[in-house]
Amino acid sequence: MSLERQRIFWAVLFIIMILAAFIFPFIPPLSNLTKIYGAFLFWNAFALVVIVCLGIITARWRDDH
Amino acid sequence: MIISAYTIYLALFLYFIVGSIIARQARNRLGSGVNDFFLAGRSLGGIVAALTYSATTYSAFMLVGLAGFTYIGGVGALGFELIYLSGLILVAFFGPRFWLVGNRYNYLTPTEMLGDRYASKAVAVVSAVAAVIFLIPYSAVQLIGIGALLEGISGGAIPYLVGVLIASFVAVYWTWTGGLKAVAWTDSLQALVMLTVASLSVVFIAYRGFGGFGGLFTQLEAQYPAWLTVPGPGFFNINAFVGLTLPWFFFSLSNPQVSQRLFMPRSLGQMRVMVMGFLVFGFIYTLVSIMWGFSARLLLPDLPAADSATPVLLSLDIVPSAVALLVMLGISAAAVSTVNSIILSLSSMVCRDVFKNVKPDTDENKELLIGKIFVPLFTLFIMAFATLRLDLIAALSVASSAGLLVMVPALFGAFFWKRGTAAGVLSSVIAGGLVATILQYGGWQPLGLWPGVWSGTVAVTLFIVVSLLTRAPDEKAEEFIGFLQSELSGRKVI
Repeated sequence: MSLERQRIFWAVLFIIMILAAFIFPFIPPLSNLTKIYGAFLFWNAFALVVIVCLGIITARWRDDH
Repeated sequence: MIISAYTIYLALFLYFIVGSIIARQARNRLGSGVNDFFLAGRSLGGIVAALTYSATTYSAFMLVGLAGFTYIGGVGALGFELIYLSGLILVAFFGPRFWLVGNRYNYLTPTEMLGDRYASKAVAVVSAVAAVIFLIPYSAVQLIGIGALLEGISGGAIPYLVGVLIASFVAVYWTWTGGLKAVAWTDSLQALVMLTVASLSVVFIAYRGFGGFGGLFTQLEAQYPAWLTVPGPGFFNINAFVGLTLPWFFFSLSNPQVSQRLFMPRSLGQMRVMVMGFLVFGFIYTLVSIMWGFSARLLLPDLPAADSATPVLLSLDIVPSAVALLVMLGISAAAVSTVNSIILSLSSMVCRDVFKNVKPDTDENKELLIGKIFVPLFTLFIMAFATLRLDLIAALSVASSAGLLVMVPALFGAFFWKRGTAAGVLSSVIAGGLVATILQYGGWQPLGLWPGVWSGTVAVTLFIVVSLLTRAPDEKAEEFIGFLQSELSGRKVI
């Protein structure tokens, strides 16, 4: 995949993830789930996925200069 | 339980001595130029960079304000803070770009970068002034927090003003001693104190109060089920959630004391360590602060004000005074490490973006001297604000994230839109900043939307429309973005 396509891929993926983080907890079933495995787990999972994605992207940042 | 003033003074003194030894060590390794003083010579290692980034970003707000949000609003506070943490996505795109142009053009401040990219001194001056306007009240609130905390935990034996004075002195002494290198090194110590103390104490409270985290969650589900949903108890309705979260999502770009740190790592590899280290730090610190708020909800069900959750929690019998003292130090460290970075960043903007633009023939020694003079001056100014305790300070502080958000369209344009113009930047920053201040101070929320949503919308719209109506600095835009495209392609970095 070209660099430009990779930029678009990550940008679109991140926009979808951020929108999901704003929307899903406010709509059923998460908005009715009064358990620790509801919105609490969802937002934690969201943050961990973001951290993994950033780990993948930054893997190309090297010390070569 | 009240801790004696003597014990608190002793703890603060020891903390100051240890930090001062570190700051003096940093000074011994400091070069003599402006870049050395304000950017640590662009040579920070990844771990120190991660710790100073964390300590600068996370202020006393976490264990006081965020815990308070959790107390009244429940799990929405977690969503707010983790979406904010995910704002580091922006650094994935902007980090290498900042770093590359910082090295190439020798930029000292993000506002200098904007001025050069848009070929306009006015852009640099106006952006720097906007940063000063919004960051001074934000810093004053940190000092107000320390003053109130020390006063509360000592039962009034340490007067509010003495607390403000101590925090200001610590901040200015370390900054003056060794510039950014001293700030980064003392920040590293403070970050470790913040995280260790907060984590240990929350584990302590969970086990002493509820028999462990399982017990905490079980009691929460049984007694406060609404606190595990949004809008839940009502505080985090969708408008409040978006209004709070949206400006903070852009924090890593909009706040110059943070974005300036993208110039500092000695390589992109070290920047990677900085970003990943911060993410891990932030994730843990967020969870700890949220658990803190949930614990307060269960142990102290009838507090009159959410912000008092942490001080009152510390005064409970289940928290030994040694732990309470350490948490007090951790919160003070969080506030001082944020304030001194802001002071240093604002001083660098005054000497580079304001003074040097007015008098371009200023040599480097004089420029550095002016920057250093502004370190105590800004501290005095922030202290004066903290002693006033005006309503406007609180309003401007809350407006800081909404106000600084207006810088973001200009930054996107700088790297990704050749058509952006200086007039677009100036109109978006000035009008957006005014909208944020007026709405915040007036307490207005047109259509139910918060000031940050309006200031962001006004800034984006004006930046695009005014840019399209005015002439872009084509040559500079081509050269700047062309350089980045070539460097990024060579390194295969997105």
